[in-house]
Amino acid sequence: MTWTLSRRDLLKAGFTSAVVGAAGLPVLSEAEEKAQQGWQWDKSVCRFCGTGCGILVATQQGRVVGVRGDPASPVNRGLLCSKGYALPQIQYGADRLTRPLLRKKGGRFDKQGDFEPVSWTEAFDVMEREFKRHYRALGPTAVGIMGSGQYTIQEGYAAVKLLKAGWRSNNLDPNARHCMASAVAAFMQTFGIDEPAGCYDDIELTDLVVMWGSNMAEMHPMLWARIVDKRLRSPDYRVVNISTFGNRSSEAADLEILIKPSSDLALWNYLAREIVRRGAVDEEFVRAHCVFAAGPADIGYGMRDSDARAFAAEKDTQLRERVVVLTREEAVGRRLDPSQRHERKQADAAGAGRHWLISFEDFKKALEPYTLDFTAELCRGDRDEPLEGFKKKLSQLADWYADRKRKAVSFWTMGFNQHVRGTWVNEQAYMLHLLTGKQARPGAGAFSLTGQPSACGTAREVGTFAHRLPADMVVDNAEHRAHSEHLWNLPGKTLNPKVGSHITQMMRDLEDGKLRWLWVQVTNPFQSTANANHWIAAARKMDSFIVVSDVYPTLSSKVADLILPSAMIFEKWGAYGNSERRTQTWRQVVNPPGEARSDVWQMMEFSKRFALAEVWGRQPVPGLKAEGFEDGQLPDVLAEAESKGYGRGDTLHDVLFATPENRKVKWPDPVARGARNGTVEAAGVEWFVEKALFEDYARFGRGHGHDLAPFDVYYRDDVRGLRWPVVDGKETPWRFNDAYDPYARKGSGFDFYGKAMKAIPTGDLDGVIDKAPKPVPGKAKIFFRPYAAPAESPDQAFDLWLSTGRVLEHWHSGTMTRRVPELNAAVPQAVMFMHPKDAEARKLRTGDLAWVESRRGKILVRAELGGRNRMPRGMVFVPWFDEGVFINKVTLDATCPISKETDFKKCAVKVYRAEALAKGVTP
Amino acid sequence: MRTAIAALCAAALGCAASRPPAPTAAPAGPVPDTALGLAKGSVFDVPAPPPWKPFDAAPGAAPLAARPWPGAPPVVPHEIAAFLPITPASNSCVDCHAVAKKEPGQATPIPPSHYVDLRNAPDTTQERVTGARWVCTACHAERTEAKPLVQSAFVP
Repeated sequence: MTWTLSRRDLLKAGFTSAVVGAAGLPVLSEAEEKAQQGWQWDKSVCRFCGTGCGILVATQQGRVVGVRGDPASPVNRGLLCSKGYALPQIQYGADRLTRPLLRKKGGRFDKQGDFEPVSWTEAFDVMEREFKRHYRALGPTAVGIMGSGQYTIQEGYAAVKLLKAGWRSNNLDPNARHCMASAVAAFMQTFGIDEPAGCYDDIELTDLVVMWGSNMAEMHPMLWARIVDKRLRSPDYRVVNISTFGNRSSEAADLEILIKPSSDLALWNYLAREIVRRGAVDEEFVRAHCVFAAGPADIGYGMRDSDARAFAAEKDTQLRERVVVLTREEAVGRRLDPSQRHERKQADAAGAGRHWLISFEDFKKALEPYTLDFTAELCRGDRDEPLEGFKKKLSQLADWYADRKRKAVSFWTMGFNQHVRGTWVNEQAYMLHLLTGKQARPGAGAFSLTGQPSACGTAREVGTFAHRLPADMVVDNAEHRAHSEHLWNLPGKTLNPKVGSHITQMMRDLEDGKLRWLWVQVTNPFQSTANANHWIAAARKMDSFIVVSDVYPTLSSKVADLILPSAMIFEKWGAYGNSERRTQTWRQVVNPPGEARSDVWQMMEFSKRFALAEVWGRQPVPGLKAEGFEDGQLPDVLAEAESKGYGRGDTLHDVLFATPENRKVKWPDPVARGARNGTVEAAGVEWFVEKALFEDYARFGRGHGHDLAPFDVYYRDDVRGLRWPVVDGKETPWRFNDAYDPYARKGSGFDFYGKAMKAIPTGDLDGVIDKAPKPVPGKAKIFFRPYAAPAESPDQAFDLWLSTGRVLEHWHSGTMTRRVPELNAAVPQAVMFMHPKDAEARKLRTGDLAWVESRRGKILVRAELGGRNRMPRGMVFVPWFDEGVFINKVTLDATCPISKETDFKKCAVKVYRAEALAKGVTP
Repeated sequence: MRTAIAALCAAALGCAASRPPAPTAAPAGPVPDTALGLAKGSVFDVPAPPPWKPFDAAPGAAPLAARPWPGAPPVVPHEIAAFLPITPASNSCVDCHAVAKKEPGQATPIPPSHYVDLRNAPDTTQERVTGARWVCTACHAERTEAKPLVQSAFVP
């Protein structure tokens, strides 16, 4: 469906409709205004997606009663989506958790027991006992925390400090691993520093918006509102939606391109080939600011490398982790003879991210196979669409990208990131934007959008990943560890140099009995992790202890041993960072219910139970190998701790949280303007915990390109968040551009100053020739990445593609939004979107019950042949928000081998009618 | 089981006397995991989702739902499938709702706020619904007859 706007269309569309006389800003009716009398308003931030809409939240008599889009917020200018308007209701579901719940039998903790309310003291007693039992037996790798891109900055920072500095484990990973780890990996490899160059202003400043695997109309509705607004006002503005199925974002698109799963890799190469062929390369920009690079191709799919625990039916997919026979298209795309059989050991799975410099000549040679004919045939996602018409669309897209007069922004979300070649496809977006010089300029850039409200602000910037420390630093870099140990006042070699388990690996570790104690915070991983049948069984059957902190009973809490009641967004102080690097903060405006407590309080309180002598002695870490460390061991650092003035009996609470510096940050604080602080009150302290943690953390980024403003600045009435780096009180709209970014060398024009991976070997398309690291300071890398087939594709037995994702009305696993009556009524259950012909062949009509079955599991779902998505033949889409339609029992836990992000967008399933099923069954 | 679940639920939502009571705490007993969450039963079971039917009330046929709080955008009180998609060239919602005043039997007017472009011209009222509000379904949820999964203790 494409739309070209004419003046006549505009008239037809009702733009001439009623003229409303009132001037100014008549937001409310008289009745509404009356009803809102007595409401107190404060600025705050939306709880949901990565857009980061500014809100005004209203309270009355200690309860949240209303919300408005903040008219002063440059993000959303007074508007919110239907989820945002439900914010006042999300904390008031009747089954809100208000007391800790522990599985007990006969008055004692028992893994097979039922849940009974217990005191916080009893909860922490059992939590501590189980922690120490496993920690003493197996060391730091036996414990872990699963966190979230919905952590506040302070929560994420507390978790990093407690786990990495306190317990000396690196098993901290967020659900954001499932969300944008591929974006992170590509930023690091391409620019040497994380997060986008551009900002949302690009939407209004550009001439072309191309969405790749991003159904923005549903997933970032208020950014979409800006695009639609601009589209309606600017006849030459163009919007392209590239997707594997038709969705609401197609409805305002000038061009909809439906592609096959994974063929985006080929499409980028076709576009790059066209840019080169048409002479549209910005040679000056490329010469001054870029280098060319390539990496290994046989890198596996991030699955387990052994099939020991695989279900019988999944062993054949599992085998592809070791050996792959290239498809015809893969062979062509790698300049191999397609008539030959190419069997490839996946030898580079462990070193998937390694890369080297190549020449521009090699780069051009690599693009050669990606002709229009080859690409169109490989990419066409809707077999009912004529090939010639599809080719015209691809040429049209190339025309727009190649047009030197047209600025361009490419946006992407989960279609790219949740991809077994997620890092590659992210890098290809930069490839095209760098080649054309349309990067890091106002209105031009490749722009990764994040899904969660603080995936950037917390998961990435604070570094709640298994490999990270704050401000883009990593645990396996000695200098970074030493710098962190210095800032945290830790003895040398306290920090563990071995990268921990990513979130999917933690599930596998749980199944293997390696991870024995797990704390889940602000996330629902047993619903959100692919191939879930393995993990729910592991949770319930292994000798492990699982703690879930949450606000409502979730699927994860059902497999937990202890459930802790948490405070929600408006019940605590916090800060989030959105997709355009905008850090935004809020005050606590109501109190948490019952005994619910902030996650920060929970971590601080629990940390009181650990004396230094219990954690900072010699610790085993299987597989640890690092310079200056004995193999498999973390050293005893207690002697140095004592020389720093710590006592062996000092607790992690005193050493990590209630430090002398932090205790200087006094509560009450004028910035509160009378607001309360549940963390401070429950802890019985006189210091402002959230402010102290914010400032403690901000030391990492200041002077290192991640500068945050002082805490109090964000609370000023005239501030609506600030985009970092904030230097001399000024935010940075475009990074790497010397006109806007104080870190870019003046006079350079552009300075890609990120420092990671900026000295690499030299080689050609086949591999490294000269191992000597060649420094490439200030440069961005243009990668060549070949087409690669998915980990699993439909075959005769499992003949359909399955894609999963979100819907506008529900947030993630639905635990908040499904408790809002209006949102539940809007989308009461997850349905399976399917092409009518595929349905007809299976005797399914809309509303019929069907099985969706993969090699890994099967579930029941009702069919939808119409609705908001238009599926091509051969593919079904099932959203994952519905606890009862547990689609992650079906999905495949293959990941991008570089980023370790799961591909939730493609696996093979079969679908068939469920006959006469009145009730659920246990298959 | 119901009482047992209620026992775990918010006993202290901090309600003032003027407000309806929050769910009350009953004697607390052990609760199996199968009683928790939005899909009752074991996580190892495969439940059959309940039948649903699309909301097929024509415009004007069903009463307007009460707004959850004053100022909340109304949910759409009629079926919308026939009126979608909303595209740059066509918006059936605006075609009917862009009226100045509520007349008996007619559509609810789009309020004046929707004619103010807060980003580009915040001080003037436009003649047309602003572009940022063009996709009505972004803010105004559709509806079905589905009942709440759990009660809401929200009080505006």
